[in-house]
Amino acid sequence: MKSVDLTISAEKAVSILSKLDVDFYDVVASYSRSISISVYGRGIREASSRVDVGLGVRVFKNRSLGVAYTQSLEDDDVEAAVKRAVGYARVAQPDPYFKGMPGPSTAPEVQGLCDKKIIDLTLEEASLIPRSMIDACESVRRGGTYSGGFSAGHSKACLITSTGVHIDVEKTLVSAYIQPVYRDGSDVGSSYEFDYGISLSDIDPYWIGSRAAQKAVEQFGSKKVRGETLPLILLPESSGSIFSSLLSAASGEQAAKGRTFASKLLGKKIAPEDLEIVDDGTIPGAVASSTYDGEGVPRRPVRVVEGGTMLTFLHNSYSAGIMNVESTGHATRGGYGTYVGAGPSNIRVRPGEGTLDEMIHETGRGILVVNASFSPNMVSGEFSTTIDEGFLIENGERKHPVKNLMAGGHILDILRNIDLISKEGRLFGKGHFFPAVRIREVKLSGE
Amino acid sequence: MRELLEFVVERGVDGGASFCEARYFEERANSVSVENGVARALSSGILRGIGVRVIVNGRWGFASTNLLSKEGAKRALRDAVSGAKSITAHVSEEAKVFEAKPSTDTVVHDVKMKPEDISPEEKVKRILEIERDARTFSDRVKDTLVTYRDVITRIIVCNSFRTLVEEVTPRTIISCRVIAKEGDNMQEGYESIGNVAGYELVEGVEPENFSIKAARKAVSLLGANAPPRGMFSVVVDSKVGGLFIHEAIGHNSEGDHVFSGQSIIADKIGQKIASEHVTIIDDPTRQGYGHFIYDHEGTRAKPHIIIKDGVLVGFLHSLESAAKLGGVPEGSARAQSHHHPPIVRMSNTFLAPGDMTAEEIFEDVDYGVYLSGSQYGYVECQKGQFTCKVEEAWLIEKGELTEHLRDVAVSGLTLEALKNISAVGRDLRIGMPGMCGKSGQGMYVDAGAPHFRIDGLVVGGRR
Repeated sequence: MKSVDLTISAEKAVSILSKLDVDFYDVVASYSRSISISVYGRGIREASSRVDVGLGVRVFKNRSLGVAYTQSLEDDDVEAAVKRAVGYARVAQPDPYFKGMPGPSTAPEVQGLCDKKIIDLTLEEASLIPRSMIDACESVRRGGTYSGGFSAGHSKACLITSTGVHIDVEKTLVSAYIQPVYRDGSDVGSSYEFDYGISLSDIDPYWIGSRAAQKAVEQFGSKKVRGETLPLILLPESSGSIFSSLLSAASGEQAAKGRTFASKLLGKKIAPEDLEIVDDGTIPGAVASSTYDGEGVPRRPVRVVEGGTMLTFLHNSYSAGIMNVESTGHATRGGYGTYVGAGPSNIRVRPGEGTLDEMIHETGRGILVVNASFSPNMVSGEFSTTIDEGFLIENGERKHPVKNLMAGGHILDILRNIDLISKEGRLFGKGHFFPAVRIREVKLSGE
Repeated sequence: MRELLEFVVERGVDGGASFCEARYFEERANSVSVENGVARALSSGILRGIGVRVIVNGRWGFASTNLLSKEGAKRALRDAVSGAKSITAHVSEEAKVFEAKPSTDTVVHDVKMKPEDISPEEKVKRILEIERDARTFSDRVKDTLVTYRDVITRIIVCNSFRTLVEEVTPRTIISCRVIAKEGDNMQEGYESIGNVAGYELVEGVEPENFSIKAARKAVSLLGANAPPRGMFSVVVDSKVGGLFIHEAIGHNSEGDHVFSGQSIIADKIGQKIASEHVTIIDDPTRQGYGHFIYDHEGTRAKPHIIIKDGVLVGFLHSLESAAKLGGVPEGSARAQSHHHPPIVRMSNTFLAPGDMTAEEIFEDVDYGVYLSGSQYGYVECQKGQFTCKVEEAWLIEKGELTEHLRDVAVSGLTLEALKNISAVGRDLRIGMPGMCGKSGQGMYVDAGAPHFRIDGLVVGGRR
């Protein structure tokens, strides 16, 4: 399968399209191969592999969009997909916001996005990683049941547009995850841990397993607590959901068309002075990096929040056209079968001054949130969420784990109420960086 | 294609597989998006390929490809076999499957109006009409999106039990999302209708119960308040009830969660785990978005009773979970595509009707919350803790609906909540078509319930 030539397939479609009466088009052809080892129950359950090829076509005629995709690179299937896309573009109606597709650009290549060792990784070699995660869990506590696994993928894609863009990309991705469950009578201790990256050296399966098991054991003896208004300390795994939600709400046409809670935040102070968020898709070796975005526009670092003020949205060419600005290089393509969207790449939140321990110590009574998603209603910005994993803090010390506890509020109140940002944090996929944060007060619903 | 699948299975068995399954998957989809009066995009896609699954040396191997040549299929089989062999050395539970009787059948679901017989122009015209009703409902409606999708799925399952079944299933779904604004206040209303059906589903859409309903909801939510917080008696409608049943108990009853130690009800068969008002059924044979005749292991589907009068009586099974738990597979294994192995899935899951009217259920609530319309939910099976996000709610005061509430979620512990169901209505409705996510796979499901009451759920409020 290494011999699949995506350029030939994409050019086949381009050759047909160039003879038809259309205004703009792009063609993406892609190939991917992945292997995975799943963990289920007491041990390793299944080894699997997948080979996927496909081609997607977008056609604009009179600013009207037709899309077609096929899971085949055979000549007849490619031609049929082109015809379907063209036919649909003729039926669709003009989009008043569409202003065209970006032309070609050059940018320095972002290094370290493809590890050739992953391409040749065998299932036997791959199976050692979940084995190591299980062994690490068992070293903390024996007798658990598990779900999780390891996967490694290699993908290539070729994008050609009617405006002269022709880019080829190649990438590898590895990810590992394990969720141990321990039982002691009717009491349950459960948690999970994960990591992902470009290379095997980016993940440490033994660390993943032992941390998952330690967190799981700490969940024994969880108790309900009463509902009250308290400070929350969010560990990076949870604080990331706030920052990711904010940047997603500030992305693309949804933001530009006024459909999200972030639509009216440009130029406004949304958080304390020390909050800074940069989106940077050019970090070497980071999972969310690439030389070009999904439309062939070069990636670049973008300061989204500085001094607590929102400076910009993250744009693809369509949303940039709505606001009469330049694309920020944030076009996303989920694959050959999806529309072009926009969204963040590597989100980096600037670390603060204090340590997490100091943060806990300075909290008389509060909740330490290990795992919860603070993703709000993207339209209204309001949220109501369960604290899936957390601890009560009393007199500056971590006490027992909590259960059946909910937090509610508005995401903008959460941002405004950030009163401490830790200097340590967690790097995800070698790109995202999230510190722990303390929220001054959040309304909690409990017993 | 059948010959190719039979060739793969025969070769797999000859090569030492104690079980071999080859499955063809094809999905042809068309969609139309109408946004603020403009049919902005039409899309068409074809997915197809083969998934091969084997047990070799007591281990599972799976491989998939969308290269449909004999060489491509042989390569997939080779990868699946070598996959199983690659993990043989590791300590694990032995893979096994229920010794199923072979099935041979072809099922084509008939529809009144085949979507492929309707021109794209006609589809656009109709969807524009439906969208216009939402857009013109109020001057506070500022943004509308109606999306239509028809999809025909063709699946052929061939395995070493000599099963060879083919099922062709058309599904049609239409959804409407409306955003209403008033100053900085922005709220959303959503409705969807979907079923194993053809274009007649779209022809039958009544705007009053669909696009106008979504618009009315968005506008009405502008005047709604933040919910109170704490533990309340709640009454749920068919959609919140369906979501609760799906999340709180449905996932916990999936056989793979049970045999892998992830389910909180694994050791509770025959025990009373819910109030006597509770009977919960998963029924793929019933019309609904999750309807099918054969599952993706080739097992003929039957209705499954999970809880009867409060007692846990059964789990949902694949060939594997039935073998491991001593059950009988009745058609609960499905896969998102050829790239995914079949896993245990719900279909159309619902709480069976009781004998009360909705009015009687409300009457007994002195102070509580009425939850209506579902957004999404999730469950941590191993802990038995679930969360359901709700579209809108009302306070119940002395049996009457009073204050309108928005952005409400509820959380609970499965085994507590099931025992706290104190009243069940007779007005069962199943109609919340959607995709359920599990183990990286999305699957067509439906759910529903009559109105029912739970005495004591945590409402995540903001005041």
